Amino acid sequence: MASISIRNLTKRYGNFTVIPDLNLEIADHEFVVFVGPSGCGKSTLLRIIAGLEPISSGDLYIGDTRVNAVQAAQRDIAMVFQDYALYPHMRVYDNMSFALELRGIPKAEIDARVRHAAALLHIEPYLDRKPKELSGGQRQRVAMGRAIVRNPKAFLFDEPLSNLDAKLRGQVRAEIKALSQELKTTMVFVTHDQIEAMTMADRIVVLQSGTIQQYDTPEAVYERPANQFVAGFIGSPAMNFFPVEWRGEGAILSQGGTAVPLDGETAGRLRQAGSAVLGVRPEHFAVTADAAEGIAVNIRLVEPLGSDTLIHFDLAGGSAIARVDPALRPKVGDRIILRPQSGKTHLFDAANGQVVQ
Amino acid sequence: MNDAANTDRWIRWLNTVQLVLAGMIIMAPTVWMVLSSFKPSFEVTAYPPTLVFSPTLENYAELTRTTPFLSYALNSLIVTVGSTALGLLFGIPAAFAVSWTRITWPAILTLAARMAPGTLFLLPWYVMFRQIGMIGSYTALILSHAVITLPIVIWVLLPSFDAIPRSVFEAAQVDGCSVTRILWRIAMPLVASGIAVSAILAFVFSWNYFLFALVLSNGDTKTLIAAAFNFIGEGSTQWGALMAAATLIALPPLVLAALVQRWLVSGLTLGAVKG
Repeated sequence: MASISIRNLTKRYGNFTVIPDLNLEIADHEFVVFVGPSGCGKSTLLRIIAGLEPISSGDLYIGDTRVNAVQAAQRDIAMVFQDYALYPHMRVYDNMSFALELRGIPKAEIDARVRHAAALLHIEPYLDRKPKELSGGQRQRVAMGRAIVRNPKAFLFDEPLSNLDAKLRGQVRAEIKALSQELKTTMVFVTHDQIEAMTMADRIVVLQSGTIQQYDTPEAVYERPANQFVAGFIGSPAMNFFPVEWRGEGAILSQGGTAVPLDGETAGRLRQAGSAVLGVRPEHFAVTADAAEGIAVNIRLVEPLGSDTLIHFDLAGGSAIARVDPALRPKVGDRIILRPQSGKTHLFDAANGQVVQ
Repeated sequence: MNDAANTDRWIRWLNTVQLVLAGMIIMAPTVWMVLSSFKPSFEVTAYPPTLVFSPTLENYAELTRTTPFLSYALNSLIVTVGSTALGLLFGIPAAFAVSWTRITWPAILTLAARMAPGTLFLLPWYVMFRQIGMIGSYTALILSHAVITLPIVIWVLLPSFDAIPRSVFEAAQVDGCSVTRILWRIAMPLVASGIAVSAILAFVFSWNYFLFALVLSNGDTKTLIAAAFNFIGEGSTQWGALMAAATLIALPPLVLAALVQRWLVSGLTLGAVKG
């Protein structure tokens, strides 16, 4: 168990800089999720921590030890790979005991640890099988078991759920979270799925182009996104964005000039800025009967999800989504009046995407 | 529907004809050789060739009576096994290193060495080995035959190593394996059939190689294939004994290939299909 500290880290491939000057502190016992779109550098960062990629410049500490020049084999880190990377020629038992055997741990203790981990992951019946005789979900558990038996300083997960079907993914997600609470070990989890990030993390690192956009708790990232990128990336369906301006005594949509009802605090910031990008999450629209209180839109598409219904509509030259109560029974072509909920709107600078203060 | 069935029949028939033709072209000399080895000596070169004859072991008896055939066979075995072992010893780590580092020029270099005519090496080797007094030694023959076996081992194993997902090696690294141990514990067991195939191919090619042994061996270390060449005399050639010798020489590679033919095909295509 150990903290992980990344200081002024740069990673280059030839002339191409993947990660420019990154700083990150992961506390002991913390569950941190790296999330971001493809190519944002999240897997590279994880592989750097594992020791599978060299660092171009900067420092990496695991605990109090600077590990820049320490081989992966000596870092005492366990990793679960996207394709599980089990040893195909070894039985499940041997897959799990291999790392312990390399460390010269006595056979009796190896056996105890393997059986304990197998019990924890419900894979005892498969200990004598080869990986090819297991299903995707079972292989995934073996890969986790192989990491758990090590009792390492930290666990690294590289998109371990992406090869599972949706149902199993939800189940394993919950299991990993429960496991993290039981094992109390530092965990770093890489995913491009923001739901995995939100549900599992103590803190989320949102990455774009190798740069940390925000590093905070899931609630903070959702409620107070640091910039338009984070606001658009976290949340499903994604946040709606509308360019707005302050005109006379109120806010209007830049395109079309429709008046937008904003709460006093947001209106005040917009008045000061003159123009901005308004961000409203689909779930933060309220349906109202009063046309003066909201924006009238025509429903273009309806997606009933059971618990909620998503309605798609065109506004200010773009497409937008609102999440409404299914009891409303919205239909395509209906006209509906939507109002951004008070205190739930976001304003971003149109030029740099930063929050308008 | 009928047209399609007709076309299918035609294609099948054409395939059969092609296979029979190819089989005849490949097999005819071998069948000729084996039959001739059992013919009385006067019938071996008879024209037109006789297809019906009373088989005899006369040629084989002649062969063992007039030549130290068994000691030549032993020489062949020593050189072939030695050079195959040497090829595996260096070829397995070399193929793994090329696959691991993705630096391919060493593999291409060995391939170039394999493709170059043997005479290119022969003259410098002859001079070098003579100067250090090793002409005629098993060591010289084994070393020279490693030029045959090493590229075979590397090129058969390279796609096999490449086919192992990189993450398996990385998992082993994270588990605490050194590169050497990854080769020994993870990579080699996973390409075991490839190793067997490369060993067999190396054995066959080394066994059959003629030129190096002809020049670098002496009377005591002459390999079978080089010795057989001596049957073609200036005055009279003992065709019957030569055919018997050729049949015996061809036997080990043929038997080996027949024993492991299924493995051989799957081993050669190992890299193409991910397991």
